[in-house]
Amino acid sequence: MSSHEDNVRAVWSDDELDRALAALQPVPEPNKHALDRIRADLLVAAGARMPVGEPTRSWRRWSWWLAAVGTVVAVMASVLIVQTVQFGDETTDAAAGQLYRAADRITAVDVPLGPGQYRYVATHAWWMNTFDEDYAYLAENVEEVWIPADQTQEWLWRRDVTGARKWLVGSETKAKAEGIPLDEPDWPEGEWRAPCGDWYATEAGRKPCTAEGNWQSPDTAFLSTLPRDPAELYDRLRTDTAGQGNDADLEMVVYVADVLRTGRVPADLRASLYRVLAKVPGLEITDRVANVDGHKGTAFGISAAGFRHDVIIDPVTGQFIGEREITEDDLDGIPAGTVTEYTSVATTVVAGMGVRPSG
Amino acid sequence: MTHREPAVEPLPADKDRPYLGGPEPAVEFGRLFDVYAQPLHRYLARRVGTETADDLVSETFLVALNQRHTYDPHRGAVRSWLYGIATNLLRRQYRQELRALQATARSAGHAPGEEASHEARVADRLDAAAMAAQLAGALAELSEGDRDVLLLTSWAGFDSNEVADALNIPVGTVRSRLHRVRKWLRAHAPRGYGNV
Repeated sequence: MSSHEDNVRAVWSDDELDRALAALQPVPEPNKHALDRIRADLLVAAGARMPVGEPTRSWRRWSWWLAAVGTVVAVMASVLIVQTVQFGDETTDAAAGQLYRAADRITAVDVPLGPGQYRYVATHAWWMNTFDEDYAYLAENVEEVWIPADQTQEWLWRRDVTGARKWLVGSETKAKAEGIPLDEPDWPEGEWRAPCGDWYATEAGRKPCTAEGNWQSPDTAFLSTLPRDPAELYDRLRTDTAGQGNDADLEMVVYVADVLRTGRVPADLRASLYRVLAKVPGLEITDRVANVDGHKGTAFGISAAGFRHDVIIDPVTGQFIGEREITEDDLDGIPAGTVTEYTSVATTVVAGMGVRPSG
Repeated sequence: MTHREPAVEPLPADKDRPYLGGPEPAVEFGRLFDVYAQPLHRYLARRVGTETADDLVSETFLVALNQRHTYDPHRGAVRSWLYGIATNLLRRQYRQELRALQATARSAGHAPGEEASHEARVADRLDAAAMAAQLAGALAELSEGDRDVLLLTSWAGFDSNEVADALNIPVGTVRSRLHRVRKWLRAHAPRGYGNV
């Protein structure tokens, strides 16, 4: 493009151009206060309340597995304490015995789905939200999942935050008087459809049904890789939970609850999982008549990091019916022994997608 | 009873492709701001001055927040998307950018014509600032699109794919444009083109 080929210096080299570009225009450091103000405005627009340079004041979902580590676990007096479960078949303690009986009661096979039928998994959960240290409540959440017989077909997922609250610290009246916004959604609500129940395929940038199953989102392939022999399954769970969570034994129970909660675990594997639970050191029967949405079960709990996590099983049918978390320490305004989360899970067969069980 | 959020590992800019449609945008946008606001500000300040850069950074993130559902992680890294928004907003500051470039060009104190040829002959002795001043005049002659491609590459450190994502043009177009612009600048900058 140059018309100055006669002049050897009329054209810069690439290097000269790059040096000139690098030197062109000063590069002022941004003013920190200006950026802080911009950031604060942004976060206000994004829905945070007190964003300026401080921890955000907003409602937080309480996640029990994030609970602080290091508190000494004080076992509640009312808890039936059982000795550490021994390995092997000669174990005699109550929790293990109960779990083995529950495992034995599970029918050998699940009822297969007929044409057009769906497996329906309803989760009724009360999860804790906190606002700084001034307010805490359990919020009612309802989740429903419809799973087709051919799991590569479309699934349906409905979520609803009902707006019902059980206050642990503060009250609805006080929160409203202080202008604390209560109607902030805790979680997205609505309806999603996806083959294989692979709800996040788009976000994760993958084709639906290509996600690898795991304990939290098990697919048929994953479930088929899990050994049915309790000793092998125990070892597999130890391996998969290694390095996860705050407490190795607690994490075993967490993973079992994670997979059971999905309602996708076939009967033979469910029985093996109970036998695995029976081998987890520190597991106790914490309540013989735990009431979950009117359904009575036996609570098997393990304490760690200031909380007790209970898995609740119907001793008659061997069904997993729910779980709950209880704080064993006083937390800002919440006394030890308070249930900080509980969930009931019900699984049944329905006539079609979106159809609820009758009765 | 507040939990500390888990520390977020910084990702390489081209791998940072978050899902922005979540229920708590404040968390993700706080992170995006902490990672990208400063470099974006430097880039914009270099083009239109620090005050205007304040406004543009603010607007960029607010537009991003409002349009977060349009960000598609498959199509590009979040940095490219943010700079793309900033580039669109920058278009409104076109005249301001030109004035700044022309002021820099004048600061070299050279006259066009013979003087430029003389300077060109001794270019190897010119210090970087003087070369920059020469370049400023030539940059002011470029189309906005050409200048965006060049400066996203040179000042923001984007590769051709990232420029393509930011400007929403094919990567081949970015490469050919960059080649053409650089060739033209190498020939015309030494002549103090801006004052022609």
